[in-house]
Amino acid sequence: MPPKSTANGFGRRRGEREGGTRLESKSQSGKSNSGRVTTTGSVIGSKSGSCAVSSHDKLLYLASCLIGLSVEVQVKGGSVYAGIFHATSDEKDFGVILKMARLIKDGNFRGQKTVAEFVSKPPSKNFIIPSSELVQVIAKDVAVTRDGFANELQSDKQRELMIDSLISQTRHVEERELEPWIPDEDVPQLPELENIFDDPWNSKKWDQFETNETLFGVKTTFNEELYTTKLLRGPQTEELEKEAARIAREIAGEDTQDLHLAEERGSSIHENLGIDEETRFSSVYRGTGFDDSGYEEDEDIVLNTHNNETFGDSSGSVDQISTDFAIAKSSDGGQLSSSSFIVDEAQTSQSDGTGADLYCSEIPSRNFSTLDSESRVQENLLGECGGNNDAKDFVEKQPLPEDAQLPKSGDSQSSPNREKAGTIKVGRSANATPYSTSHVLSKGNEKTSSHGEPVDVAASCKAPGEPQSVNSRGRPGSSASSNSDRAAATSASSGPGLSPSSSMGSLSSEKSTLNPYAKEFKLNPNAKSFTPSQASARPLSPVADNAFYHPPNVSAVPHMHGLPVGFGMGPSLAAQQPVIYPQIAPMQSPQTYYHPHGPQYGQQMLVGQSRPVFYLPNYQPVSNSHHLKVLKCLTKDEIISWLIGLEHLCGGSALLTERNPERLLGIIFWEGSSAVHEIAIKPGSKKVLRDLSSSWDMIL
Amino acid sequence: MEGQVGGSGEEFAVGCLLSIKTTLGDEFDGQVMAFDRFTNMLVIQEGLKSGPRRNIRLLNANYIKDFSFLGQADDPLDPKKCFLDLSRLQAREHLAVRQAEADAQRIGVGVTTEAQNIFDALSKTLPVRWDKTVIVVMNEVRVSSPYLPESVSGGTAAANERVKKVLEFERKRLQARGSSQG
Repeated sequence: MPPKSTANGFGRRRGEREGGTRLESKSQSGKSNSGRVTTTGSVIGSKSGSCAVSSHDKLLYLASCLIGLSVEVQVKGGSVYAGIFHATSDEKDFGVILKMARLIKDGNFRGQKTVAEFVSKPPSKNFIIPSSELVQVIAKDVAVTRDGFANELQSDKQRELMIDSLISQTRHVEERELEPWIPDEDVPQLPELENIFDDPWNSKKWDQFETNETLFGVKTTFNEELYTTKLLRGPQTEELEKEAARIAREIAGEDTQDLHLAEERGSSIHENLGIDEETRFSSVYRGTGFDDSGYEEDEDIVLNTHNNETFGDSSGSVDQISTDFAIAKSSDGGQLSSSSFIVDEAQTSQSDGTGADLYCSEIPSRNFSTLDSESRVQENLLGECGGNNDAKDFVEKQPLPEDAQLPKSGDSQSSPNREKAGTIKVGRSANATPYSTSHVLSKGNEKTSSHGEPVDVAASCKAPGEPQSVNSRGRPGSSASSNSDRAAATSASSGPGLSPSSSMGSLSSEKSTLNPYAKEFKLNPNAKSFTPSQASARPLSPVADNAFYHPPNVSAVPHMHGLPVGFGMGPSLAAQQPVIYPQIAPMQSPQTYYHPHGPQYGQQMLVGQSRPVFYLPNYQPVSNSHHLKVLKCLTKDEIISWLIGLEHLCGGSALLTERNPERLLGIIFWEGSSAVHEIAIKPGSKKVLRDLSSSWDMIL
Repeated sequence: MEGQVGGSGEEFAVGCLLSIKTTLGDEFDGQVMAFDRFTNMLVIQEGLKSGPRRNIRLLNANYIKDFSFLGQADDPLDPKKCFLDLSRLQAREHLAVRQAEADAQRIGVGVTTEAQNIFDALSKTLPVRWDKTVIVVMNEVRVSSPYLPESVSGGTAAANERVKKVLEFERKRLQARGSSQG
């Protein structure tokens, strides 16, 4: 018995797949072992050259060449099976394994060549034919040599279309060598053709409709407004336009990590990185299991990018709300007229379009934080605007606890002691930030799954002065980590309250978008509740389906009402009528609506997707005549500020930034709001010195 | 010669040109590429020429009923040109399996050829899949045996109508084609 030719003498293993290494070693050993005894001794021996290959090795080699090919195997009974050649057995016997094998000729019907009338069973995933059964294996168009391989490779490539998903999902893709395109020499150069549409302000304005009509007499029925929202041009058009342009500039000027976005914005950050043209402009993303542009695949990055763009991208600061928010102006004395609300809303939405939309889109499907305030639980919900499921950022506003008196619903609304604490939190998604007990947890980034979970507000009405307990309604998911924001703006001087430090601490480990320098929010349980002197502020943007209501009526009721995005302060006004804000327009931004005699506060009815709840701090209304204009939104590197209490405002503390002690900066809203106002307050005064923007007023 | 050819190594010398008859009735000519005595497997390259792509048979020599020697030529396999790229082979296999699986989806199991033809015809313009022996169109309309317009059920009225029409049309075409061929 001639010695086995293989170095690794594996035993008989039926149907074992030819391992790569095994085969290779076999082949190699076969080829190199010139001393091998071969079966067809004389003939093989007569082969010249140093590579005397054993016949067994040859068999194996040839069998290996069949791997992956469609072959037909005939078995003893005459039946023929077709399948994909997968493996052959070991040395002693020659058995075969096929994949996806099916019977194509039944030996029982000898002489009949046809395929069975019925396909009686689906193809076998793995079909083993033992050597005892095997008669022959027939394979066509097998490449056995280098030439053959090259030939096969070529035709293979031609056969398989390289679609994007194939490229991005398959690990092993044959990469082609790309060559730059060089135009033919004999093609005439027509430079004027290239530039004809470059100048948008081209004096010879091209009007396609006009041209068509002249040339062909075709009259157009094109009406732009059929396809896009109608622009309302009114007295504020110019302002709005300016605002919109400003926002656009801001956004367009932001930094981004995304190559393509950067390119659009004209930033040349990647020029030096040696990224080739293909990657810069057109490459199919090669990721793991994702499609083309890579958008889906890396939602985090993309969305974070967006978030960055929307909110600024600094480690220290939470996303900046780049859009302006406006607080609805509450009209004195009562109900906000819905009409004005609507108007404002419309304006808001227009001027704020980009920002709001952006913001909206980033809102995680469910974000909310539970704030525990002693008097009430308010939850900030960051609802999902429209259909965006991946909002990563959200803003929460955390209401400040209200006065003790508030909780009781029985109270009439007369008392102005309503304090609304609001915290706006803009958070980075994906960071679940467990807040310390007193903090609200915001969850961001929840993918739609659990929408509609009502936020329950309120469970705990605590007496003022108590340390706030956290009523966290936690939603799993990433929560905004901008708790510290809240801390920042709040009353520095406030009493106990949230434990900002803890929140800060807990957040530190996360991707910090918080402003480390922001002052922590300290709840001042003694702060007087805010009651706008007039009708409560109107929410700027209608909350789509959020039944956020604010029970403005009940003065006693602490209001933590969530203002949906864009909502300005909507603290319940002590004396005001609860304002009901009808759903103004089918906007995507959350709509808030006030429930006139709303249920006890604290029940946030969250219908559908959570909406950001905007809680305004409670203020002690100074007097009915004080109007504090809406606060301006944060600067780029600040997270949030919120309007805390008039007291604070007047006191010139807390809310005022260190830099601008006379300025009160703060925003109250987030999505959907319109203007942002920068106001100046003289410390100690209760008046607004200056309001740089118009529209909304918040009456404190 | 039937049976073991163990002792007669010369008959199956590499490079031999043979004409072989198998016990199952196959007849073919070819050139011996390899013969492994242990497993008794004979590898034959069909045709008398060696090109980049060849038709190969692996035949169990036990089943050789008869053969005749046609000549002797050189080893058709040049060892210097032989190498194996396993990754490519594996990739090829994966691809083939993927395609086979996709194809398998299109084949109804236990259905008549007629049914399969109808399925194939429908699949040209409509998204169809098999559900046992029922053709499911657009995931809502079901066509069960005997695949007549009357057997169409389900789906919206519009979809149903559409499938019926297409089915009728395809049947007519198949009949016409069948009768013209038959």
